[in-house]
Amino acid sequence: MPDARDEFMSIPVEDKDLLVPRQKYLSAGIHVGTKVRTKDMEKFIYKVRPDGLCMIDIRKTDERIRVAAKFLARMNPEKILVVSARIYGFKPVRKFAEYVGAKAITGRILPGLLTNPQSPSYTEPEVVLLSDPRVDKQIHDESAKVGIPVIALVDADNTLENIDLAIPANNKGRRSLAFIFWLLAREVLRVRGDLPPDGELPEGYEAFATRIMGIM
Amino acid sequence: MAQEVGVNQPPAVEELYCTSCGRRVTYERGVVKFPCPNCGEYLIVRCRICRKQANEYVCPNCGFVGP
Repeated sequence: MPDARDEFMSIPVEDKDLLVPRQKYLSAGIHVGTKVRTKDMEKFIYKVRPDGLCMIDIRKTDERIRVAAKFLARMNPEKILVVSARIYGFKPVRKFAEYVGAKAITGRILPGLLTNPQSPSYTEPEVVLLSDPRVDKQIHDESAKVGIPVIALVDADNTLENIDLAIPANNKGRRSLAFIFWLLAREVLRVRGDLPPDGELPEGYEAFATRIMGIM
Repeated sequence: MAQEVGVNQPPAVEELYCTSCGRRVTYERGVVKFPCPNCGEYLIVRCRICRKQANEYVCPNCGFVGP
């Protein structure tokens, strides 16, 4: 009996069905997962390479980016909190917040940000967008306690615990993070009507990527 | 005929039921509610336990399955 995964491999992914050409997704490394995979993430993985690396289904990534963009576009931009404690996520998150009008927090989170009203940095967002639920554990736990919807970029080694909308993607790569946040910002602006349906951001996704000293 | 409301009656509270497990969660903590990410018309409610266990929710309006 043929495996469902083999069946998927025989179905070509048409570029017209995706937000950006398939080659662009692949060159940014969106689909490259980890060697560790969790039960929660099995539905987003279409293949395991012979070396053990999981490949994420880019059609599902594409679909979830569309859904997340619709969800974020309905929210008040000032009530969207984007968080990344990962160094490669700093610049993408700041750029995303700049385009969308959201609030960005990068680096260490002061505990009590969402739970302690007496904290100087206390904020009450309507939705939280995380670059990695494992790295951003503090804000993830606080949003679970307070009851704030969480959208998160999840890799093959993440669980879906306390996540309300998962975007399966490589959340560790420099270019992958930049590409996902660039695409999400573009889609949010398109859904909101700030960009025409086929409009592009003034900058490419390379502008969202963190620069490495000595290399770029 | 208009229904009379007594002085001592508590104000009517909209009951909340978890979309995944169907439990009544009106007065529980850690409950999250948000419009369906896809269609935005149906209010998805998730109880603390279903969020913790990553139980799936299905929008009755558009059929979107999350998380």
